Amino acid sequence: MARSREEILKDLAEGVLNMDEDLAVAVAREAIDIGLDAFDAITNGLVVGMNRAGELYDQEEYFVPELLICSDALYAGLEVLKPHIKKDNARSRIGCVIGVVEGDTHDIGKNLVKIMLDVAGFEIYDLGRNVPLADFVRKAQEVGARLICLSTLMTTTMDSMAAIIRMLEQEGIRDQFKVLIGGGPISQAFADRIGADGYADNAASAVRVANQLFADVKAA
Amino acid sequence: MNKDQMTPMERFSAYDKGEPLDRLPCVPVVGNGAARVLGCKISEFRDNGPLIAEAHLAAYRRFGYDTVRIFTDLYVLAEAMGANVCYPPDETAHLENSAIDDIAHIGRLQPVDPRRDGNLPALLQALEIAHERVGHEVPVAGAVVCPLTTASFLIGTDNLVRMMHRNPEGVHSLCEIALASALNYARAVLDIGCTFGLTEPVSSSTIISPAHFEKFSYPYLKRLCDFMHEHSKPVTLHICGKTERIWPLMADAGADCISIDEMEDLRKTKESVGHRVRVMGNVATAETLLQGSPADVRAETLDCIRKAHDNPRGFIVASGCSLPTEVPFANIDAMLDTVREVGWPVTVAKLDSMT
Repeated sequence: MARSREEILKDLAEGVLNMDEDLAVAVAREAIDIGLDAFDAITNGLVVGMNRAGELYDQEEYFVPELLICSDALYAGLEVLKPHIKKDNARSRIGCVIGVVEGDTHDIGKNLVKIMLDVAGFEIYDLGRNVPLADFVRKAQEVGARLICLSTLMTTTMDSMAAIIRMLEQEGIRDQFKVLIGGGPISQAFADRIGADGYADNAASAVRVANQLFADVKAA
Repeated sequence: MNKDQMTPMERFSAYDKGEPLDRLPCVPVVGNGAARVLGCKISEFRDNGPLIAEAHLAAYRRFGYDTVRIFTDLYVLAEAMGANVCYPPDETAHLENSAIDDIAHIGRLQPVDPRRDGNLPALLQALEIAHERVGHEVPVAGAVVCPLTTASFLIGTDNLVRMMHRNPEGVHSLCEIALASALNYARAVLDIGCTFGLTEPVSSSTIISPAHFEKFSYPYLKRLCDFMHEHSKPVTLHICGKTERIWPLMADAGADCISIDEMEDLRKTKESVGHRVRVMGNVATAETLLQGSPADVRAETLDCIRKAHDNPRGFIVASGCSLPTEVPFANIDAMLDTVREVGWPVTVAKLDSMT
């Protein structure tokens, strides 16, 4: 007998939360087989598990390895479900350009923020690491993004964040974007000083801050 | 301003014996900023032991701090084992590519020969020169990058942390070979007559859980500490980022002194493990030393002293981590001058009068 929607959603969430990629994939297939809506399975199953993993990370019960492996299970499940999403469910997402600024190749923190923002409903354009500063501005304009996320672990590259904000100002497009920054040496005081819109000290708080920055849009 | 009355060696020796001294030991952890004191480019340190030594000696003489630490970057062991490191003209090196990208290729990795591989011969030569010139008055220390951190550069950090769940044996294999390299380098440093500090950023609770620390980092740290103790040398262990939950394990591993990063509270460190280990830290490197004013540095230095000067096993005023290259000289001076002004004995009344 086919299992109920609730049971399937619970297993999808637990597959992600418990780092059980096999379970997430198997139950995603089961969801398709019994005709469960793919969008429902993603948002009320997989994403619930990833958000719970994010909470555990915030509470220092999960750490970087756990969050990465949860995200592996999440994306493995998504692979199965995404082709089955109905067109009318493809809601418009807020575009977000993210990357590690030029001169720095530490990207684990950026990758965690990317995953959590993706799960939170942002459309992610990941420029990777060691990204030339002008690329952030160009890509954000090209894709019509409204959020720009900048990361660095190095003190040598912190000032590049200010340079990107100045580029936006010089091109007269500063008010089209919210700029969110983070990384080892970054602080709220630094964010205030360079005129960034937000600062986050980990991946979970990045989602909180991003949601606050777009509270009006998300409510609408 | 009180002038220093003792050499760093005399100061540490008196501190260890519980005798009076002129001031608390103070170690702003100068790294490639030494190039700024000498006026050379950081990339010139490559394969140039005499220049590394000159720069660090110049910085030591300029500031008068209490340990000469010969350190260029965290990648030296991994590079000597095959990782690809990028050397910008005048900034600290960064990792371009890990040595391998699949644990199946672990057979390609060999423990380093420190007299031959990568930039290690230059570092050893720098230690040798510095030890000969100032080793009688100040500890000259090498920096040994610990196994889990080197392992992360050997296979990539993303790979390594996933393997902690999926292939724990693979993590141990990488750590074993990284440990062999660390011991080879450590032995060469001791042969010169220098000491060394242990640095293990990837073990931070900012990255891995305390349980993973105990499983994948602790056993190797312990073997490094045991090695040092067999040679009657004390061990300083630095782990960046959050560490509160692993302080007891850092002490259990055998560290005699633990170096605490800026996000932790030295008062808590003192209460947790201060009866077992000396504590050093933790003036903020970016926010205060790089971007703050000398007055900011003074205030935070006093705050650190207030929290930890009465640590049962002693306290070294230090930066939370290695200093960024461009920290203004005036801020390093402010840190040392504050410690000199506090002088000895350190009293709450004195600290209050300076605040």
